[in-house]
Order: sequence, then C-alpha cells, then structure tokens
Amino acid sequence: MLLALLVLLALPQFLGSYLLTVFIFIFFYAYLGQAWNLLGGYGGQISLGHAAFVGIGAYTSTYLAMTYQLSPWIGMLIGGAAAACLGAVIGYLGFRFGLRGFYFILLTVAFGEICRLVVSHVDALGGALGLFITFSGDPWQFQFSDNRYYYYVALGLMLISMGIAALIERSRMGAYLAAIREDEDASEALGVNAFGTKLAAIVLSAFLTGVGGTFYANYLFSLQPNTAFGIPLSVEIILRPIVGGSGTLMGPVLGSFILSPLAEVSRTYFARGGLSGVHLIVYGSLLIAVVLFFPRGAYPYLRGVFRRLPRRGAPPPFRHLPPGVARAKPAPERPRDP
Amino acid sequence: MTLALIGQAALNGFLFGGVYSLMAVGLSLIFGVMRVINIAHGDMMVWGSYLAFVLALRLGLDPFVSFVLCAAAIFCMGVVVQRALVNRVLNAPHEMQILLMLGVALVLENLALVVFGPDTRRTESAYGLATVWLGPIFVDVARLITFGLALALSCALYLFLFRSDLGKLIRAAADNGYGALVIGADVERIYMVAFGIGAACVGAAGALMSALLPFSPATGFAQTVTSFNIVIIGGMGSLLGAFLGGLLVAVAESLGAVLLVPSLKELVGFVLLVLILLFRPQGLFGGKTT
Amino acid sequence: MVNRRTFLKTTGVAAGTAALGFPAILRAQPKEIKIGAVHPVTGPLAEIGQACRLGAQMAVDAVNAAGGIKSMGGAKLTLLPGDSETKPDVARAVAERLINEGAVMLTGAFHSGHTMAMVPVAQQRRVPFLVDISAADVITLNVAQSVKEGKQKTQYVYRNFPTTTVFGRKAIQFMNEIFRATGTSPKRAVLMYTNDPFGKPQSEGFIKAHKEQGAPFEIVEVIPFPEVPTDLSTEVSKAKAAKPDIICPITRPASATLLLRELAKQRVEILGVISPGAPGLYEKGQIDALGKLIEYTMDNVPWVNPVSPKARKIAEEYAKRSGGKIFDTNSGYSYEAILIMADVLERARSTDPDALVEAIRATNMTDPIMVAAGPVRFNEVGDTTSASTAMVQILGQRPVVVHPKESAEAKLVFPVPKFWERG
Repeated sequence: MLLALLVLLALPQFLGSYLLTVFIFIFFYAYLGQAWNLLGGYGGQISLGHAAFVGIGAYTSTYLAMTYQLSPWIGMLIGGAAAACLGAVIGYLGFRFGLRGFYFILLTVAFGEICRLVVSHVDALGGALGLFITFSGDPWQFQFSDNRYYYYVALGLMLISMGIAALIERSRMGAYLAAIREDEDASEALGVNAFGTKLAAIVLSAFLTGVGGTFYANYLFSLQPNTAFGIPLSVEIILRPIVGGSGTLMGPVLGSFILSPLAEVSRTYFARGGLSGVHLIVYGSLLIAVVLFFPRGAYPYLRGVFRRLPRRGAPPPFRHLPPGVARAKPAPERPRDP
Repeated sequence: MTLALIGQAALNGFLFGGVYSLMAVGLSLIFGVMRVINIAHGDMMVWGSYLAFVLALRLGLDPFVSFVLCAAAIFCMGVVVQRALVNRVLNAPHEMQILLMLGVALVLENLALVVFGPDTRRTESAYGLATVWLGPIFVDVARLITFGLALALSCALYLFLFRSDLGKLIRAAADNGYGALVIGADVERIYMVAFGIGAACVGAAGALMSALLPFSPATGFAQTVTSFNIVIIGGMGSLLGAFLGGLLVAVAESLGAVLLVPSLKELVGFVLLVLILLFRPQGLFGGKTT
Repeated sequence: MVNRRTFLKTTGVAAGTAALGFPAILRAQPKEIKIGAVHPVTGPLAEIGQACRLGAQMAVDAVNAAGGIKSMGGAKLTLLPGDSETKPDVARAVAERLINEGAVMLTGAFHSGHTMAMVPVAQQRRVPFLVDISAADVITLNVAQSVKEGKQKTQYVYRNFPTTTVFGRKAIQFMNEIFRATGTSPKRAVLMYTNDPFGKPQSEGFIKAHKEQGAPFEIVEVIPFPEVPTDLSTEVSKAKAAKPDIICPITRPASATLLLRELAKQRVEILGVISPGAPGLYEKGQIDALGKLIEYTMDNVPWVNPVSPKARKIAEEYAKRSGGKIFDTNSGYSYEAILIMADVLERARSTDPDALVEAIRATNMTDPIMVAAGPVRFNEVGDTTSASTAMVQILGQRPVVVHPKESAEAKLVFPVPKFWERG
C-alpha cells in the first residue's frame, strides 16, 4: 500500500503530459466513484443523478470566481455545501417517502434532469452556452500551467476520499449502511436509524461530489448544462465503482485503473480505421464481459483469488444471495409500505 | 385563438402519445417480469427505426406496414440479448444489471453508427404530410394512423397476456417468479418470450415513430429516459398504466410547450415523475403495489 | 494514409538518389509533420464530426500531393485524427494524446465546450491550436486577455471561423440588403432556436444585431426548443399564432426536418424561411429527405466560395470521397484550417511553436476557399478578420450562394412559393 503510494507520488517525474492526463482522469473518476460508493456501494442506494452534484459544485465555485473573484479553493467548499444541500433535499424526499431500489434511481435521474433543464435557462449562469473560464495558469485560481500539479491535486482528492471511505467502513455508520443494504426492514427492526443513516450518507456523498465539480470546471475550462448535469456524466461516475466492486474500499480505484486505460487503449487503436464507433463497441463489450466474468466486480474477484493471503480489517459482509435462489420479488422492489 | 392553440397542442400530444405508450408498454413488461432495468430500450427502438428506414428505401415499404417486420426482427434481438446476457444476471444486484445493460446500449448505439452512418434519418411515408382540417384545428394523419396502430398492438398484447396460456404464465411469473417455478412453469422460456415481446413492442414503436421523428444512432438514449419516466408515472408493471402514462406524458409535454417556454417542456415530465414518486409511487393507474 | 502510389513514388526517389551515390538521409527523406485534428466523430454530433474529419484529411492529401511543405524539404503532412466522442473530457485527453504522438499543431473541435477544453492543453504544451469551427466569441478572447494581463506569455490559440457576433451582424445586414433588393418589407419575424451551446448565443447575437443595426421587421416572438429532437408541432403552432412574415430558425439537422415539415403541415403562410446561421438546412441528406419542403430555404452560413475554381474542384472531389455529400460549412472550414496551417509551416520553416505563432500572426493568405471578406489575416484577439458568411439558398435542390453579390451564383427567390403549392 505504502509502496504504491510512493510510486504514485514519484510518477510525475517520469511521465509525459499525456500519460499524466490519463492518470488525472483515473484519479478524478476514482474520486467521484468513491463519493458515489459511500451511498451507492456501502449503502446500496443507487444514484444515477450524481452529475447534478458535480454540476452544482462546478457552477457554484465558477460563478463565485467569475462574479466575486473568489478563489475556487474556497469556492469548492461552498460548491460542495450547495451540492450537499441538494443531496439533503433528494435524500429527505426519497427516504422520507420510502423510495427504494429502482424508484430511488429514478428519483435521482429526475432531479439531475430538472437541474440540467433549470440551469440551461438561467441567463446568469450562461444558459445553454454555459460558463467559460479564462485560462491564466494562476494557482490561486485553481489553474496550473503544468499537468503535474493537476496530477497531485487529483491524487490528493482520491486519497482523501479513500480515507473517508476507510473511516466510514470501520465506523458504526459503515456497519449501519451495510445492514441497510442487506435488509433495510430487518436493520430497522434491530434499531438502526435507516433514515438518518441514509441521509447522512447522501449528504456526505453529495458534498464530496460537489467538491469534485470544481476540479472538473477548472480542468475543462467550460461548463455546459448538458455535460455538467447530463446523464452521460452520471453514468461515467457509476461505471468505475461497479466494475471495481461496489461497496468495497478499493473498488472505485481499481475500476478506474481498469476502465480509463481500457477506454484510452480502445480509443487509440480502434478509432483509427475508417469506421468511427468501433472503439465504443469494444468498450461496451468489455463492460458486458466484466459483468459476465466478474459478477461482483473486479476487486472481490481478485480478493477471491488471493484468499489465502492474510487480510487486514473486517471481512466485508456477505453481499449477495447464493445462486439459484430467486430474489424475493415484492419486498425489495415495493416502493414503500402502503 | 389561444384556446385553439391549446386544443391543438393537446390533440397533437395525444395522438403522438400512442408511440410513447407502445414503447413504455414494452419496458413495463420487461421490468414487470424480470425486474431488469433495460437501459438499452431506446437503442433497440432506434434499431427498429433503422430497419423501417432500410425497408422503405430498398423495398418501398411504408413504415405503417413494415412495422410488423421490424417488431419481428427486434423480437429476435430481444430473445438473443435475454438468452445470452440478461438471463445470467437475473439474480445479480441492481448495479451489475445496470452495468450490463449500459454495455449493451453502448454496443447497439455504435453498431448502428458503424452500419448506418451518423446522418439523421427519417422514414418516408405516403401519409407523411397529410392533414385534415376541422375548423381552426388540424389532425395530422400520420399521427392518427400511428396512434391507431399503437392502440391495436397494445390491445393485442393485452389479449395475449390475459387470454392465452403462455400469457397467463407470463403474468404469473411477473406476480411471483418463485411461485411460477413452484407450479412447474418453464420460467426460462417465459422470461425469454417476455423479453422478446417487450423488445418487439419497442421495435414496432421505433418503426412507427420513424415516420414522425427524425432519428440518428444517438437518439436512443433520450427515448430510454422517456420510457422509464412514463412507466413510473403510469404504474410499474401495469400495462394499462404504461399506455395511459404515455398519453399523459405526451399531452403534458405538448401543453408545457404552449404554456411554458418550449425548451422547458421536458421539465413537465420530470416534475410529474417526482410528484408521482413521492405521493403515488405505485403510479397513477397501478392499483396494486406488486 | 500511404497509398500505393505515394509509396512507389517515395521508394522511387530513394532508389534514384541511392543510385547517384548520395546519402539518402541528406535530402531525399522528407520529414513528416503531424497535425492533430479533434472532432466529435461519435455521439450526437457524429454527422458533423465525420464531415470535418474528411475535410481535414482531404486538405492534408492535397497539400502532400502538391509537394508538401517546400521550405522544409518537401516535408509531408500527416493527419492524426482524434475522436472527442462529443464529450469535453475526452476532447482534452485526446488532444494530449495527439501531441504525445507528435502533433505540432492542433485543429478542431466544432463544439465550443470541447474547443475550450483543448485551449489549456495548447497553452500548457505550447502547441499552436488553430480552431477550425467554434463560434463562441470567448474562446480566443479569454486567451488574449490572459496574455494582455501578463498571466500567459504567448497566445497559442487562433481561430478561422466567424464568431456569433459576426453571424448576427451579417444576418441582419444581408436580410436588409435582400429585402431592399427584392422590394419586400416583412414586418413580423419569429425567431426559433435550439437551446444548446450553439443556438443560444447565436440567437442572442441575432437579437443584438437586430437592435443595433435596425431592420424593417420586428422580432415578435422568440421560441427556444429542446436540443433533443422531440416533437415540434406545438412550437410551430405557437409560431403560426404570432402571424409571422418570416421565420428565422436556428436548428440542427433533426430539428430542421421537424420544423420544415410542420410548417408545411400546418400551412403556415410566410414570405420565407431565413436562418441567421445554422446547420440542418443545406446538407445533402437533408435535401434528399425534405425535397421540395427545403427548397428556397435561406441560411446565413460560412460557405465555400463558388467563384473560386479551386474550391469548386475540391467540392467535386469531396462529393466523390463522401458518397455524394456537399462540401459545406463544416468540411470546408476544416479543410481551410489545414491550408492555413500549411501556409504557416511554409513561412515558419520550422515546427518550433514560437516560430509557428509568429508565422500565424503574419498570415496573409489570399484566395481562401471559403466566402471571405478579404485575405486571411489574424487580428490581435486571434480571430481572422476575413471569416464571414454568405446567404445560401436551396435552389433546384442544391445549396447556392445568392448573396453577397460578388460571390453569388444565382439570383435569389424571395418571397418564396407556399409549401403546399410547390410542384
């Protein structure tokens, strides 16, 4: 673990700008994936609207920087707070009204889309054209002339998110979340405050994702509602933790280290021919292959392979029903008790 | 004049809602039986549209005729997807199902891009521009035909599910898959047929819609989102709900375009969705909660 | 792409010099100069992105066929195509990769957001970036401002495409001239636009120019519609209710199809459809699909100069290589960007970034292939002063330039016959 960290810290000395970019996106999406993982992985409350938090965070800090010259370093916390507020609203409504599983997913999709549509009609935020950030390379403005600094910022974000996830995994909240994920009704019967725990998880997850929005804005230098709030970004966020193994500490990181390079490789080698789109067919097939061959994600699979190696920390709770047993249909899917 | 405008918008939305309903009915069936979130739904629809386009171009078939062939083809596509992929993740957690279907959606979209190219297409129909004027209001003939066909197909599906033995088994499996297994039903075959029929519905919807709306490989995604929206509003697993939900969403968006800024009309659908989720999660027309 | 002929040619030359006893390395091996081109070749903008890529590739082939960069010993250009997948983060990563693979200049990226994501890459890595298409004013303006404030040393981002401001001004100017020439005076205009990063500023530019320059007509209703092609029947009913004389749409291909068909279905009586500048109203596929409905539609777009014999020849070749498509705004400007780059390299005699920037600043390329207001020159902001638009009308199922007069191929038709009374 320490060795890996040292390697990552030393790496920029040896990498060119392009490979740094690849690593930056690996770290950044691992960070967003970890933030999602707190709610979607550990807590089993899948959100397909996390782009809304990225968008709110990004727009908040960028707007403050453009209008009041507030440094995005401060703005990113305000952006995170704004995202946390939205998270609280979604969480309060969703959990108070008992939306579970598929219904909660759609609630998050709907909120993401509502945010996208509203922001694309707010002229102060540039409407559909969005906001454009002047590139100055001023570190106080969260801009760097060298990719190495972005690399360290992204790495820092990823490590912070891992630290938070590790803390939660070992805390009482982590145990509650796991219990809720496995069987919410039973956990409540045992005295777990499911509503409060889930609400805390979504607020924290939204805050972290919102903070990431500032990085997104100041690495891409423009924000459009369609990209910053769109479902494609939400999908991008959830891919990595799921591929890596949701509900595990290393899942989002591993997933990111698998998917981002795969996407780059397929882009580099399959997009060359005359047929545009082949590389995305390859990428899509890889996603399918992951599901078929690592049905619980890559990290749990790897852990299975190295099962005999000593492992630190508590073993994760048993995640799925054994094969062959059909999931009891009405209970997990029922929107709420009548 | 404004009244005529509102009436016109409501009528246009209503007639357009037929295809919305048909695609939502397909999705509702798949979800109801297998509890699988078919994110590739819209992309299957785009394939239906492209088939109709090719049939019109090569054989001169009107989409209002060729939709039968398109439905059959997408039925086969659905069966293959179900057998080869979906069947293996029936008991997997939600996130793995989503991941799988995202992969399928990505493959289908970009396969369409490679095969048919990136251009925006529309299927030519003999009735494409026909209108009938009733005073200040007109009736779009293509929409009217589409609506009629979508209604007929939905009715046929209803009869199949409620009258035929296989249909009854599908409903039984939707109610309780474990129970269906206990009474000795061939659940695997039921799942396969149900997925195929759901796909056929959306394939037919794609063929019909190709005469009304232009499409390109990338349009499938938005249709998936709309389908889910409708299914929830109408009531998950309820065919009648999905059908009426389709009409409701289409009319609401059309009226939204009159009463709000038109570019905000999608907002109406999403706000409606949130309200339904919060206050009537079984959907407007879903009586039971199963 | 190395085809058989160029392969034979180069080996032939190498064999010739070898036979003469000269060391081949000295002269005969032309250096290769790589240019990175990022376009949205997949995703919602795939149609346009693929046209851009083909335009750029053809320009590279043409430059090479004409002997490459002569001042650098006939060095050949190589196009490194990149796909942004219609996503800004991918655009940025792809730009980095292309530079890594040796691109000494960049072009792209159609979508203003993607272009913007590539700007810092160009500035950080000191790789001159000639934007081929992107209309948002801020792209070059931002960099120029940073340089002025001393936060950046050199500007590496330049653009050869009209900005939305230019679009708006030209649209109003041309419309006024057209109305005067045809003795018409439309009173009521309805502006309809797709609410996306292109349509939104484009509509604002038009409204602003209308206010500043004045016109006989009033914009009585502004109707934005969603980016995703949904039903437009209600939007058209709304437009019809405003009793317009002209309709000014800012569309994409899908919405253009819907709009024109609804105008016909709902029997909207207008003098004509005049777009302030938008795709979807001139492409081959659109004309084939819409037939007589798209006939007479006018569009104020950057266009290939029909008076230039060079441009006409390219257009013929483009039709051959694209399966019958029209050499238009997008393919044309991507093509011209490569021509400008070749011209810059020729004068810079090196691939050193600062030499390239100096050469870009000194550009004075006469005979551009696009309709332009004079030779290609870059101003202090980094935009070309020449990039302009033309009024294109579909006549005889073909887009032809009808205004300004010096580039016009045919006489414009206005007012136009009603949709339902056309042959």
